[in-house]
Amino acid sequence: MSLLRPYSKVPELNTATVLLVENEEELQSKLADAIVQYEKEFNVNVRLARKLPLPVENKETRPRIDLIVFIISLLSERSLQSVESSLAHLHSDCFLGKVCFLVTDARCGSHTQERLVNVRKLAASHQCPVLCAEHRVSVHTHTHTLSLS
Amino acid sequence: MEERDSAVGTPASRPVTRRSKSYGRSCVEAPSYFWQTPGHLTVLKIPTSRGAAKSQIITNKVDPEHIALLVKNEWKLSYVTPLHCFRHTQLTSYSKHLSAFIVAEKQQGVAVEVGLEAGFKVTFTAVLGLAETDEDAETVFIQIQSKPVFAAAADAPKVVWRGWLTCVNGDPEYLRSLPSDFVSLPLFCTSGPESLTTLVKSWFERAFDCNFGSLALNSTTLNWLAALWTGCHPTCNIRYLKLAWSLPTQPPLDVSYTVNPQDAWELWNSIHTEESTDDRIDIKEVQALMNGLETHFFRHFKIYLSAGTLVKVSTALGSAQLDGKIKIGNSEYITTLLTLLTECALLKMLT
Repeated sequence: MSLLRPYSKVPELNTATVLLVENEEELQSKLADAIVQYEKEFNVNVRLARKLPLPVENKETRPRIDLIVFIISLLSERSLQSVESSLAHLHSDCFLGKVCFLVTDARCGSHTQERLVNVRKLAASHQCPVLCAEHRVSVHTHTHTLSLS
Repeated sequence: MEERDSAVGTPASRPVTRRSKSYGRSCVEAPSYFWQTPGHLTVLKIPTSRGAAKSQIITNKVDPEHIALLVKNEWKLSYVTPLHCFRHTQLTSYSKHLSAFIVAEKQQGVAVEVGLEAGFKVTFTAVLGLAETDEDAETVFIQIQSKPVFAAAADAPKVVWRGWLTCVNGDPEYLRSLPSDFVSLPLFCTSGPESLTTLVKSWFERAFDCNFGSLALNSTTLNWLAALWTGCHPTCNIRYLKLAWSLPTQPPLDVSYTVNPQDAWELWNSIHTEESTDDRIDIKEVQALMNGLETHFFRHFKIYLSAGTLVKVSTALGSAQLDGKIKIGNSEYITTLLTLLTECALLKMLT
């Protein structure tokens, strides 16, 4: 099984690569634009994916991934299920500070609260942080994401 | 030196929610809610397993007329905080107060006595026998009758609004921890025009210092109901298991999924075998049932139902909707349904 390994490639100078994984592709592109346009001293490449494992074809040309962000929409159960199946494709070294979970729509309705509890349990069992974001106010999440990488 | 009364410490009544998330070190324990009452710390846990639905010929305990009032109506759910100084013995005086209040509110702002809905008659009845444990308070049923505007004098007044407050199998620790003046009837079901509902709620808030809130069911509760009702099939024919989903497409897609009861029962039986002596159903079994139904649907239609939300569950035993409306079809399993709903009301109240 091809695992995504964190340290198998050489890092580039003054550059970081962030991978955003989201099943619904709602917040991905907006967050990617916001991250790239945010002013900072180093370069950030953002790659998008719907799930892991990443396709084998461009494995050689892919740069080293420094941060993996799993975006979970709390309005659908399937989002969480696809993230859980993607986690199996990560090498265990990745969980030492290279993975973070981002949840959206945590404020809508009472059924999202239980899913939020499940996401927190998942994150706690992997020792990873959880951030909350909304589609319309995603401007600030990129600063958190950048400070993590 | 002026005299001052000693400061009375008010009990911290804000529920303490779980410690804030991130960085993964906290939150691995099972979810629970803390409720601080003076001197006590009670913990309400979200149950992960519960007893199977038991059929009960409830007409042994409860007057069949009262049961007929509860069944076959669609009820809108709300939760209520404990009522202060509510006495089951003073129901007639409460009826008079509430009817006077409603008449006064309806006439407010009307310059001339127009004589619409002349006179409301309110009846409070105690429905004895629904309470299961010793700590549960007895159910109270409220009916508002009025004569329509152009009725002849001999016409009987029609019931325009119904409501009932109940507590069935409420969490015993929590109920015991309440101070003695308080009666807890956390589940409030109403049926009728919204204006009367708000009037009744405001009267209760003024008379008993309580708070109302709307109770929306979440998808886990609907899943529990689907599993519990399916499990009742051998003893009482549920006739169909209908699930309604809403998928977030543009425009939103509504899916109505009707399952033959025998098939649903066989699926449930394969997950939770009947021979197991343990009468408890685990949440994993409920999730396995829903997974089974969803994968079957996917195999035929290539639509992931888990990407949407379950909106309504209905069988011949009753139906429940996500926005908090229920219908009780059969009086035999009413206790199970009310236990589940009381639990939801208590949990919603404390968060």
